[in-house]
Amino acid sequence: MSILDEIREQGAKKFIFGVIDDTVVRITAGLSINDVRGVLRGDPAAKPNPRVKPHTEGFILHIRPTFYHQAVTALYPTFRLGFLSAMLFLIEIITGAILMVFYSPTPSSAYESMLKILSGVPLGQFMRDVHRLSAEGMVIVVCLHMLRTFLTGSYKAPRQFTWLTGVVLLLVTLGLSFTGYLLPWDQLAFWAVTIGTSMAEKAPVGGQEANLLLRGAASIGPNGLLRFYLLHVIFLPLIGILVLAVHYYKVIRHGHSLPPGMEAPGEDNARKVPPDKRVPFLPDILTTELLWAGLTIAVLVVGVTFFYHAPLEHHADPNVTPLHTTAPWYFLWIQGMLKLGDPTIMGVVLPTVIFLFLALIPYIDFNRSRLYKDRKIALALASIVVAVLVVLTFMGTPNYGVKAPPPDEVGFHFIPPEQPGPIRSLPFEQLVAGEYDTAKTTNIGNAPRLSQVLTELQADIARHPELAGGHAVLVIEDWQGDGKAVNLKKVTLRILWDKMPVINGVAQPYENTVYIHRDSNYSE
Amino acid sequence: MSAETVALAKGVTRREFLNYVWGAAMAVFMAEMGGVIFLYALPRFKAGEFGGTFTLPASSLPTPGSAPLANQEGRFWMANTDQGVYAIYKVCTHLGCLYGWSSLTQRFECPCHGSKFQLNGTYIEGPAPRSLDHFVIQVQDASGKVIAQTDANGGPVQVTDPNATLAIDTGKRIEGKRHS
Repeated sequence: MSILDEIREQGAKKFIFGVIDDTVVRITAGLSINDVRGVLRGDPAAKPNPRVKPHTEGFILHIRPTFYHQAVTALYPTFRLGFLSAMLFLIEIITGAILMVFYSPTPSSAYESMLKILSGVPLGQFMRDVHRLSAEGMVIVVCLHMLRTFLTGSYKAPRQFTWLTGVVLLLVTLGLSFTGYLLPWDQLAFWAVTIGTSMAEKAPVGGQEANLLLRGAASIGPNGLLRFYLLHVIFLPLIGILVLAVHYYKVIRHGHSLPPGMEAPGEDNARKVPPDKRVPFLPDILTTELLWAGLTIAVLVVGVTFFYHAPLEHHADPNVTPLHTTAPWYFLWIQGMLKLGDPTIMGVVLPTVIFLFLALIPYIDFNRSRLYKDRKIALALASIVVAVLVVLTFMGTPNYGVKAPPPDEVGFHFIPPEQPGPIRSLPFEQLVAGEYDTAKTTNIGNAPRLSQVLTELQADIARHPELAGGHAVLVIEDWQGDGKAVNLKKVTLRILWDKMPVINGVAQPYENTVYIHRDSNYSE
Repeated sequence: MSAETVALAKGVTRREFLNYVWGAAMAVFMAEMGGVIFLYALPRFKAGEFGGTFTLPASSLPTPGSAPLANQEGRFWMANTDQGVYAIYKVCTHLGCLYGWSSLTQRFECPCHGSKFQLNGTYIEGPAPRSLDHFVIQVQDASGKVIAQTDANGGPVQVTDPNATLAIDTGKRIEGKRHS
């Protein structure tokens, strides 16, 4: 029969409904309109169950399980951290691709493109901040996921290889974070990565070559930026996606491990799920995943709107290493280790040994039990490792173990290179012209904030025993005006003390100068 | 013995043998490709980038014992000590930061992890494993004859002729000595 005859027989309405129903079946890979409605209403599934068809017939759901064991659907034991990691990875890929529209990976244009994204592109700052916040969140979540997997013993047989691919993914995550760090091409990025690649150079075997391959030259320049960009945008994401596919496949193949309390030592019943304990993917698991995804996005958006903005310091300057150069926070533990000894051992050998050991844990752990009471040593070791990491991270912060000359420290506090600082934040009207000595006058009538800064200056100087007899002189000069009012003021901070260096018979105080314009508005 | 073992024990067939040879050839080819990619990615550069020689007149030297002079392009400090002149590489021997000169303490201090060095580059304290690196200086008189040159240990060079020129070769770097 031809189409027209079919229509005449059924009637137009039924025919159109048939076409729509057919389309829905094609799109959902097996569910008709009534099946979809049944899912959305929470009706029990028909027999034979059509809701497994999107999994068996379709690509998108083919790797997702058709049901979960009830015991792994609550927050405990997984806290959905694996899902969260993958979710953040996806957010990174999307925001990253969006940022690629405007970012340019050459030293002469990178910083400019960052400024354009931040101020000349609608929602540019939003995209960049979400990208940065999700990246830092992803490092945290991935580490928490690893910790959780260790604590519940889910790495034991038969899931050893899943753990191994997980460690590879951890390295990929850290690598992505590190390569992305360089791209803004500001002082923070440039020097953090210079130190990081110098560590690669210290490797006893192939160190020089590794450093050269990464940097593309003796020091980081156009070649290095391009290589980091390629690593960040193509190679590491590709490896990440491939290894993630393997990782997730193994997770589903063995099934999500049940809470330790439910299994006897050596037992693994993850795949033997009695029918009454099955929670179907459609609609229940999908709904919780969508909820979790929505919550994550909400947290990111609220965080980025009200609380968090990714920093952008001054343009990278290969000739000036800033005071208090620091690694990204997730590498502070290495920086702490570096302060302890030889960079080859502390920066290359030890971290390599640590990651190798991490990867091999499932293969050397002979305790078959996952119960907490049987794993007291392993749990104690995990706590010690976390504590050591926290201590090392603290040791890695710039204020520990690295002393700049005391007047530089005071100057850094009051006129920081990358922050406004107390002096720049003074309201313009309170910058009354004059010479103020913190040893004498600290109370200026019409400028209470200025008086406060002078008091703080004297207190800070007094804190340094090397600056005995020290006091600061703040000189404020009206520098430029338009005839009606002063618009530019020059502020000079001078620090004098008993043991000032003497060159050619002349004492050399510490001196630092800033210019502040009426419209600078650093205090905002 | 199983039938399988019996069959294998009879010896390698032509097909099996050729498969092994083919596999080995592919493995060699893959290794070669890996090597090619490595050579492709390895940067070609003049040692230190700035790699060439910088020429300075002796009159531009700082007075002996005073603060060193920075040379931005060449990435070195000209340090004039009582023992002679050094051209010290600006990059800290710890992890690649550029250290600075502290007039307060009259020594080189690195802002990254606090390594400290004397005016002649000798290590004082800090996480750096060795003293600072030196570049080879050639002292030439007015006719271009070389009258002094940095020795192989990176020692100081005497500059007696006020009309001499110093040629600092940033392609020739002498590593600082490791301290204990």
